[in-house]
Amino acid sequence: MQIEQDDAAVINLDPEEARGFMRNHKEGTYTILDVRQPGEYEKARIPGAKLVPLPELVDRLGELDPQRPVIAY
Amino acid sequence: MLAGKGFRKAYNLNGGIRAWNGHTAAGPYDMGMTYLRGDEDAREIIGLAYGMEEGLRGFYMAVGERTEDKEVADLARKLSGIEDRHKKRLFDLYLTLDSGLDGREAFESRIVNNVMEGGSTTEEFLERNREFMKTSPDLLNIAMMLETQALDLYMRYSEKLRDEKGKDVLFGLAEEEKGHLESLGRLMDKRV
Repeated sequence: MQIEQDDAAVINLDPEEARGFMRNHKEGTYTILDVRQPGEYEKARIPGAKLVPLPELVDRLGELDPQRPVIAY
Repeated sequence: MLAGKGFRKAYNLNGGIRAWNGHTAAGPYDMGMTYLRGDEDAREIIGLAYGMEEGLRGFYMAVGERTEDKEVADLARKLSGIEDRHKKRLFDLYLTLDSGLDGREAFESRIVNNVMEGGSTTEEFLERNREFMKTSPDLLNIAMMLETQALDLYMRYSEKLRDEKGKDVLFGLAEEEKGHLESLGRLMDKRV
């Protein structure tokens, strides 16, 4: 499954599509972004997800590589 | 928000974590992070990962030795063999970065190996999970959980580490864990 996007709009992925994306892309070439609170992150997260709680996202955008695809949840 | 801030490709996971039906990792962000200072080079990262793979290999060996179930013992042997192959690949990678190394023994003598992938010691983990390793599906579940935690740990390490080559090593290790998880899933499917 190949999911590509040419414009800057956000695309919704179903879990199966997201899993396909992760299968087809090497680790380090995309970011999984967990925008929930730390307590939720600790209970269960997609392995390898980067935690940036939504209230902090604007101030911490510099930690993310804008050239890499980001899958947020 | 991301799309308006110059991010070229931004995706939203429909339904969030509640809808997610893949593997999940758990635990605080800093779990297992004390083993990494952040200023290691790629060779040190390989050494660290080698120790973890050895810890996990030792764990599977210990499971195999303690069980009376032949199927569990066979599976434990197979899983420890996979960790052996991971170690061999890490050593080969190390050799590409340190041609002056005096053999695998010299390399192994520098390794701290009482930590498993995921950050627990072998004995701690065996003790905590004794009840969940009685059948081969149990052991497969434990193996998948360990590989998931390892994938997550390697990616958290990659955030903390500053050395770019070292980061690439970690991404490669996380990618291997991803592949290993898929093989374990197929093995589990065959049994169900």
